[in-house]
Amino acid sequence: MRRQHSTKAGSVLVWTVVVIAILSLIAVETLRLVTAKYQNALQTSTWQEALLAAESGIDLAIVELRKSLYPAPNHAWEGWNNPPGNEVTGYELTTVPNAGLDGTPMTIETNVDAPSQLIDPTNWWQYYRIRTVGTIPITGPARASDNPQDTKLRRLSLHWERFTNGILTPHLLTAPQVSRRIEAIVRPVSSFDQAIMSVGVVDLTNQNIVVDSYDSSDSTKSTNGLYDPAKRQQNGDIATDGQLIEAGNAQIYGDVATNAGTVSGAANITGVERTDFYQEPIPVGAPSWSSWNASPSSVTGTTTITASATKGSAASRYVLTSVSLSGSKTLTVAGNPDGSQTYVEIYVTGDISVSGTGQIVVQPGVTATIYFAGNVDITGNGVLNSNNQPGDLMLYGIQPPTTSSEHVNFGGNSQITASIYAPGHDVTVNGGGTNGHVYGSIVGKTVTMTGVSNLHYDERLGSTGVINNYKIVSWFEDNR
Amino acid sequence: MVTLFRHRSLPKIQGGYAISELIVSTSIFCSISLGLLMGFTSLERNYAATSDFSLNHADEMRISDYMAMDLRRAIAIQAARNDTTIFIPAYYDQTGTPQTPTLDGQGGVFYGASGTSVRVHYYLMAGTIYRQQDSAPALPLAVHVQDFVFDVTDAGKVVTTHITFNPTFNSSGASAAATTATAFYNTTLLRNSRTDIQSSVY
Repeated sequence: MRRQHSTKAGSVLVWTVVVIAILSLIAVETLRLVTAKYQNALQTSTWQEALLAAESGIDLAIVELRKSLYPAPNHAWEGWNNPPGNEVTGYELTTVPNAGLDGTPMTIETNVDAPSQLIDPTNWWQYYRIRTVGTIPITGPARASDNPQDTKLRRLSLHWERFTNGILTPHLLTAPQVSRRIEAIVRPVSSFDQAIMSVGVVDLTNQNIVVDSYDSSDSTKSTNGLYDPAKRQQNGDIATDGQLIEAGNAQIYGDVATNAGTVSGAANITGVERTDFYQEPIPVGAPSWSSWNASPSSVTGTTTITASATKGSAASRYVLTSVSLSGSKTLTVAGNPDGSQTYVEIYVTGDISVSGTGQIVVQPGVTATIYFAGNVDITGNGVLNSNNQPGDLMLYGIQPPTTSSEHVNFGGNSQITASIYAPGHDVTVNGGGTNGHVYGSIVGKTVTMTGVSNLHYDERLGSTGVINNYKIVSWFEDNR
Repeated sequence: MVTLFRHRSLPKIQGGYAISELIVSTSIFCSISLGLLMGFTSLERNYAATSDFSLNHADEMRISDYMAMDLRRAIAIQAARNDTTIFIPAYYDQTGTPQTPTLDGQGGVFYGASGTSVRVHYYLMAGTIYRQQDSAPALPLAVHVQDFVFDVTDAGKVVTTHITFNPTFNSSGASAAATTATAFYNTTLLRNSRTDIQSSVY
């Protein structure tokens, strides 16, 4: 009986061992497969996160570029290194914890330079090249995927790193990581990138207003550089950082955009309505000139000032405490008799007031830039821009203190050809009747148009004026 | 005699019992063996199906990631089912070195010669999905993918890639619901201004 029991027990033991062995083999193979797939998924996830790190580097660079546009001291590029190199503007190495990967350190390497090939010869605007490398360590063993195409796509740095200082230079690693490299080119964006841009409310209270666009530099979109309704373009865009555009059923040939707000009276808008707009306007600081024309120091009667052929020269600059023209008094900005190109910059530390038949006359060939710190009130045909180009008369409102309220009022003008950038001023254009036309662009704290005034945005303004932002125009991932 | 009878009768009892025991034990053995066989077969099928699903899913991810990478840097797209062509900037010169871009005079830039680009072609042929860059040899991104379908929906600033395959989890074939469950979507924001349609960058 003992031998029989012994034989049965042995049989069970064999069966048990065989079954356990088979199950163990299955378990091991399953575990091996699952582990490989888990590792692959983890590496893929880290690879994706590295792209976010690299793109964050572009954002960091654009933030510094935007800071550099602010009046001094703007603290741009503080904390950035400037290693020796050709045209290097800034270089930064930042390591921050990645919340998506349980605090894994994420290294962002950013290199900004300004190649001479990226200077626009038409306006001398510098485009910048931003090269970033986002690096995140890989958790787990330094094991490559079993599929060679995965390896070619997701280039993991298991033992060697491919990128150093934004340059392809391999070096030995102590732990596996993944790096992704992006090169982006950013271009400057003009203050006059839209027909109307407002920090707060845009109010087009009259339904007969037409907002459209033309391009004075393109004969297919203008006639002799002037607005032609037969060549009307649909880039008369209106945008606000606020929540409300009162379109008043105006005929808008372009897009409208709010900051998570609403557009009322939007029946006649040809473009799209967006709610994702926000662009902080760069405040204008007072000019910090070292020298300028000593006379005149203010304008209260008929006066002539002379423009200069040299842009930015002392001879082209004037500082006035105020401009006050009433009756038939005029301020003439004189250019060369032959109408050749001349420049003038006027800084008005106080108010500008033109009433009655008083007038500011900008003669042919003169490109005038007027900075004003106070209020502007211009009625009648108070401004005559002889060139009929809004790019030749630019009005910049210096940012007032937050405690004060400043304004720009244009009233009863049949035609204004100018560009107005005053993000700290409430801008109102009223009157003008059915033939009232504004050729140019308006940026204000609030913008109100009443009494039938049409606005024709000159698209050429998009490449002139002060730089207000930077925009990505090229993006490429270097996947060597 | 009694003892002898008892001795003789015992084997008969034992023999009868042995036959029934044999039948019972054989039945139990067969049942257990059948159960084990079915279990192992089921495990093997499950393992094969899981492995197949896992491989297919990895294939989907690979195709999607490849296309997303090229779409991000695309300047033109020609989308069709199982056949998509993407044009990317000619970032590298002939030696593979990055080039400095040049302004195009219209607010943009280009790499290399004006109007040039690199053509990246994705297509499904004979059960294999290939990626071919210009005239370089086509690289197989995924093999044995007769039941794969990739669609590219061009929405201007964004492009959605949709990849599906038919899972083989049950012998009667995948249900429509199961097929839908394997769909792999990837919406990619195009970073570059497009040359083939009027579209601005983000």
